Amino acid sequence: MKRTALAAAFAAALLAPAAADAEVRILACEPEWAALAEEIGGDDVTVHSATHGRQDAHYIRARPSLIAKVRRAKILLCSGADLEVGWLPVLLERGAGRILQPGQPGHIMAADHVEVLERPAVLDRSLGDIHPGGNPHVHLDPRNIAILADVLAGRLEQIDPERAEVYRQRLASFQARWAEAMAGWRERIAALRGMKVIVYHKAWVYLLHWTGLDRIAVLERVSGVPPTASHLVEVLDRVRDSGARAILRAPFDPEDAAEWLSGKTGIPAVELPFTVGGRPEATDLFSLFDSTLALLEEAKDRS
Amino acid sequence: MRKIAGFVRMAAMGLPVLFAVSLAEAQSGPPTAEELAAQIDALKQDYEKRIAALEAQIAAMKAKPPAADGQAAPASKPTMRTGDNAFNPALGVVLNAMFVDRSDEEVGLPGFQLGHESERPEKGFSLGHSEVSMSGNIDDKFRGGLTLGLGAHDGETEVELEEAYIQTLAGSGLPDGVRLKAGRALWTFGYLNEQHAHADDFSDRPLPYRAFLDGAYNDDGAELSVVIPGDIYSEIGGGLFRGGDTPFGGSESGREAWSAYARVGGDVGLNSALRLGAYVLDGEAHGRAGAPHEDEHGHGEEDEHEGEAGNDHEDEPGHAEYFSEGSFAGDTRLFGVDFRYTLAPTGNAREQELILQGEYFRRSESGVYTLEEEHCVDPGDVDNSGEIDGTEETHGHEVCEMEAEFERLNGDANGWYAQAVYKFLPQWRVGARYARLSPPSDAELDNDISTFSTMLDWTNSEFGRVRLQYNRETFGDVRDNQLILQYVMSLGAHGAHSF
Repeated sequence: MKRTALAAAFAAALLAPAAADAEVRILACEPEWAALAEEIGGDDVTVHSATHGRQDAHYIRARPSLIAKVRRAKILLCSGADLEVGWLPVLLERGAGRILQPGQPGHIMAADHVEVLERPAVLDRSLGDIHPGGNPHVHLDPRNIAILADVLAGRLEQIDPERAEVYRQRLASFQARWAEAMAGWRERIAALRGMKVIVYHKAWVYLLHWTGLDRIAVLERVSGVPPTASHLVEVLDRVRDSGARAILRAPFDPEDAAEWLSGKTGIPAVELPFTVGGRPEATDLFSLFDSTLALLEEAKDRS
Repeated sequence: MRKIAGFVRMAAMGLPVLFAVSLAEAQSGPPTAEELAAQIDALKQDYEKRIAALEAQIAAMKAKPPAADGQAAPASKPTMRTGDNAFNPALGVVLNAMFVDRSDEEVGLPGFQLGHESERPEKGFSLGHSEVSMSGNIDDKFRGGLTLGLGAHDGETEVELEEAYIQTLAGSGLPDGVRLKAGRALWTFGYLNEQHAHADDFSDRPLPYRAFLDGAYNDDGAELSVVIPGDIYSEIGGGLFRGGDTPFGGSESGREAWSAYARVGGDVGLNSALRLGAYVLDGEAHGRAGAPHEDEHGHGEEDEHEGEAGNDHEDEPGHAEYFSEGSFAGDTRLFGVDFRYTLAPTGNAREQELILQGEYFRRSESGVYTLEEEHCVDPGDVDNSGEIDGTEETHGHEVCEMEAEFERLNGDANGWYAQAVYKFLPQWRVGARYARLSPPSDAELDNDISTFSTMLDWTNSEFGRVRLQYNRETFGDVRDNQLILQYVMSLGAHGAHSF
């Protein structure tokens, strides 16, 4: 019995909340959300991103470090719509406290707050790694970023009411700068509207939706499965004289298929940053969209 | 909404009070114009403050998803399931089969009991373990799961209840980071034990798992685990168990075993991660026996192989035989350490990944081995009047009788494996594994058992994998070569894999 009591005392000592740890810790699943958390939370929060800019958030492991991060986080900010289904459930089950669980204030899934595109009408694994909740890459439409900024600021005020005023001020500042940037981008995308593009993975739908680019082919025949040679030949026939201006891929998509098609057709293969840190010039949310549009403009002018 | 209602109520109560105060002041003497102006200013400021607070609250509420129904924006969800099946648990099926070619010679596990799960695969086509699993949240505090393992053995279908557990969810009332799991589960011990065999990187479990745990330790019991808050990952835990599964067996009190473990881990640079663990599993066995098997040893051909292996035994059974065929009763303690290191050179485990993994187990035992030997007598020698008791059976022309021999044997045994798996293309991996097992000292065997394995597998999607594996098992002069072609496919719900 003595041993049990000792174990209980030991456990109690371990579990005692670290009192000095008043700062709100935010675990973002992807770098774009970490960047947003930095904008709204500033110095008053500690932000970690589970993935870096050249990582595909579909396929990371529930690393021990993430269990440690989620254990102390007060806010979890992710794309949602099952993008993180391969690892986030492990974190939620293993280290995450109550505040991070679905329905709680610390649980923010971007796809729950914006209009989700490409909800599959048919759910079948033969169609590849599809997301029943729709396409999860919602951050590539800057209007969605603005919505999530509001959501995040609201949750921060709720979880950390003492600093509510600071979060409100930072939100107002961010929204003003974002609206201004969006006005500039709006002029630029007008010139891109209707430009035909080929994509590697269906990760760009929100960017296409916002910019009005026209996706004429996808290199992955089945989502999440590398393209087969026969499918590439089929795509080649389809796009040869289509007037497509760019083959878009994310930094973490394999190069070979896009390069092969580019070599056969002369259509430039363009690596867009996809997220903050995806390319060196995309250092924050503003430069993410700036550099993305610049690369698209360059591709359009080149061909 | 409740907050706003509360505020309105407070404001409604506050107003008369304010007026009363003003009136009281007014009665103390006629206020000057300045005083009145000041009062009005104060009131104005007060109201402005309150309005600002209200606006902030409304903004915060707008930003929040509707609290009541938890999941926001159901309007755009594809089809809401309704009726009785709306709350069906996640259902998953793992299909697995193999084609095996192997040497006629068998190494087996000399000096260890060969459990049911650790026999070498059958020759030719066979189904390994198929699995049906169900899991889901029970309510806001608990989650539950059930896994059935379906195996075909000697033409018969066997169903094994691999897991049937409940575990607490965050929000169960236990402190954050604490989880209680109860029932039957693949408990925390080493790296592989927690995961289902279909998630392994090789077709079969390495030698120490086969010898010490008969594949995996999934006893009945309960386990508490605690993730300790800190900059690096650290977790401790322990459990109490029935003691009905290898390395124990034949539990008398129903709570014969306990375990404890500690794990630490973290990132090593941007694209690699490491986890280390130490484990102990301790308890009392009351008759741990291997799989009931045919009269493989002691008679016939198998003898010759053991003879070749230097495991001589005449009519008198050697100690090795006690360890491998006897049933054990006594104290057994298993100690283990493990490591796992993953490196994704590009950051994307889907493209390229190197996984290094290793475990070392040490078992200390002190207890009694009981060896039941069949002694056969020619029927001519037996009295026809039938003085044959119940334990006797006829074996061809002979009459046989079981006789038990006891021997007190202690001994330390140990085993380890190390493996490397490298994904060189998104769908292709190669792997190599070396495993070694030292039989108990008292078994008086001169040789260790070792296995060298290589594998190549092709993964079409996350859900389907085909693997070719070559094993070379060695014990003294005995060589057991095995070639295994296997598929592992899963359909339906497919749980997220842990690190």
